[in-house]
Amino acid sequence: MYGFEALTFNIHGGYLEAIVRGHRSGLLTAADYNNLCQCETLEDIKMHLSATEYGPYLQNEPSPLHTTTIVEKCTLKLVDEYKQMLCQATEPLSTFLEYITYGHMIDNVVLIVTGTLHERDVQELLEKCHPLGMFDSIATLAVAQNMKELYRLVLVDTPLAPYFSECITSEDLDDMNIEIMRNTLYKAYLEDFYRFCQKLGGATAEIMSDLLAFEADRRAVNITINSIGTELTRDDRRKLYSSFGLLYPYGHEELAVSEDIDQVRAVMEKYPPYQSIFSKLSYGESQLLDKAFYEEEVKRLCLAFEQQFHYAVFFAYMRLREQEIRNLMWISECVAQNQKSRVHDSVVFIF
Amino acid sequence: MESSENGRESNEGISVKEENILNFLDSVDGYLILMDSLSSTLRQGWLELASARHSMGASRINSTLFDLKLHPASTTLQVNDQSAAPDRELPHFTLCKWASSNNPEKYFEEAKFGEVELLKKSNSLRHRDISHNSEIQARSPESVGSPVTVDDQAEKERYKSLSMFGTLVSPKLRASQLSFETALEMLVEVSNMRASLLCAHDQVQKDMETATK
Repeated sequence: MYGFEALTFNIHGGYLEAIVRGHRSGLLTAADYNNLCQCETLEDIKMHLSATEYGPYLQNEPSPLHTTTIVEKCTLKLVDEYKQMLCQATEPLSTFLEYITYGHMIDNVVLIVTGTLHERDVQELLEKCHPLGMFDSIATLAVAQNMKELYRLVLVDTPLAPYFSECITSEDLDDMNIEIMRNTLYKAYLEDFYRFCQKLGGATAEIMSDLLAFEADRRAVNITINSIGTELTRDDRRKLYSSFGLLYPYGHEELAVSEDIDQVRAVMEKYPPYQSIFSKLSYGESQLLDKAFYEEEVKRLCLAFEQQFHYAVFFAYMRLREQEIRNLMWISECVAQNQKSRVHDSVVFIF
Repeated sequence: MESSENGRESNEGISVKEENILNFLDSVDGYLILMDSLSSTLRQGWLELASARHSMGASRINSTLFDLKLHPASTTLQVNDQSAAPDRELPHFTLCKWASSNNPEKYFEEAKFGEVELLKKSNSLRHRDISHNSEIQARSPESVGSPVTVDDQAEKERYKSLSMFGTLVSPKLRASQLSFETALEMLVEVSNMRASLLCAHDQVQKDMETATK
């Protein structure tokens, strides 16, 4: 029952909640970002990061540094922390932690399948996969010719198997089918994660419902904007939206028929939580929409730490670290391209 | 009488030489402006690509997704052979953008910086003015031919090129594609401008050699 977690949560989850709160205090601050934004070279960035928790991961990297190297090493830190928490977790926290990585698993599956379609080497593709989304039989994905084989040969033994029921066809894999497969899988994953959190109940259900609903709504907006001017039909677009969230179902109906960014804006401004996001944009502009959504997401993720005795802090921490890595990627790209004036276009401060 | 005729001829010779020098300086000016525009367009394209990568994620935009299958080039460059057209002194580059793989000659757009236009520009004094160059940039080759048909074909080819990253891509990636497309057109203009610059330089050198003899 909601409110009595304080009595029993710490028995199994107390240690890991303390661990994750300790990790949270290691997130980069505004002062760190200010120093990083003033760096002239990637070596300067490495030097500033050596004083943070990323130091041990970057110290042995030889010059010249590349932006992808910085991102890879920072991601390794996140993976190490995740694995440490996962190996200490008991049910249902361990399942909850595994759910957090299924999104990366879907991305990896799509990367391997797309790369194979483009006649790329499997080893090359495996190196580009996100480490949080790896599973044992991932390399076997390269032999599948259609979605049925994909499911039958590889994915039936993975956590993604239940999500495939909605997109199994015998059609050969091509760019459009792969895109629909990606979005259908992600939709099924989000809905499943949402149901799992509802089953957990309590503060976890309440906070995760809000976070996952925001994720579902953001996905719906991105799918709409990205599909404007493409071959994706309105019906196909509607099928890719999740069956929960603030926009479900009436907002989805309107988004499905939107033909430009201003129509999307008109739909979203009917919902008060999203009015503030779209008020930051001028008409016809979509470039700053990503940053506005990231800022709103970070605000909600930070609020998750205001309550105790729930699992949403783990989800929030992972997402905040991913945002931090995105920030570092952007700062590194701006420094490498000598475009420091644009560095604040996409950096989202967490604290 | 003879001396005044000689004087007139020498005055005409001097004005021709001055005109050649001015043409050369104008060509250098145009070349430098184009190079500057090319550099800023490329910088914009690279930043937009980084922004798309930031938005869509590194797993969706990376070099391992490039398509290694054989397919026809959507854009080709034609170089006019000087031996085929001996009356044409300058080599001339023409960009054929978004040519359909089925009908390579039916739909194509030229980003042509024609010889006629070069001559027009060389006959007038040029001022170092960014707005002149932006006029060149704003001239879209898609205005050549039937606008609706050419635009549709161009959009289809653009969409096809980006499909290696997925069919639902961020508007930032499309903006990056447009920037690199513009940069490609500028490269061709730079090549043609360089050809005219070298020709003007040769002319000036000939005049200097004549003067020293």
